[in-house]
Amino acid sequence: MKEWSLLVVAAVFEVMWVIGLKHASTLPEWGLTVVAIIISFGLLIRSGKNLPVGTAYAVFVGLGTVGTVVTDAFLFGQPLGLLQVLFIGLLLVGIIGLKQSTKEENG
Amino acid sequence: MAWIALVVAGLLEMTGVAMMARLHQKKTIGSVALLVASFGGSFLFLSVAMETLPMGMAYAIWTGIGAAGGAVLGMVYYKESAAPLRLFFLGLIIASVIGLKLVS
Repeated sequence: MKEWSLLVVAAVFEVMWVIGLKHASTLPEWGLTVVAIIISFGLLIRSGKNLPVGTAYAVFVGLGTVGTVVTDAFLFGQPLGLLQVLFIGLLLVGIIGLKQSTKEENG
Repeated sequence: MAWIALVVAGLLEMTGVAMMARLHQKKTIGSVALLVASFGGSFLFLSVAMETLPMGMAYAIWTGIGAAGGAVLGMVYYKESAAPLRLFFLGLIIASVIGLKLVS
């Protein structure tokens, strides 16, 4: 359970640095972007200790993508199409299914 | 040229995922260096590819190669579970990410 929470937090920081890469213009903004990259990858690597890395990475990328699309829609006013909502739904089904079917190793 | 850069970026990302598994087995400075070099190189080649290729498509292909390849490497070299149900959900996640990046 703990590893999956780490992945969710890692994905939040992933969304932050994706936004940073797109919108950062000042030195402090770039600094925060770099910090977010380090934190998100640090948490991802940490979660791979007790989860299969392929699983951890797919969930990390999946949650990050959903987060980025949703943030773009609500924070930056990008339109959210029906197809996007459909893919987000499928993605979440995949993540929840993968969580249910993955055994955590206690390392 | 951009396409070659994109494929190299995907392969490096896939290597990076495998290096995460390696790091947990061998906690050495060499493992850390390999991990950082793989992901760092991957981003570098991705940015080269994005100079000419459309961003959504480049991202989709990069993620597809990296996440699917990383999962396969994990199963082949690091003995991670390849149960059919897990493969199905992994495939569903990767396909949805590719779909989302393409339509965004």
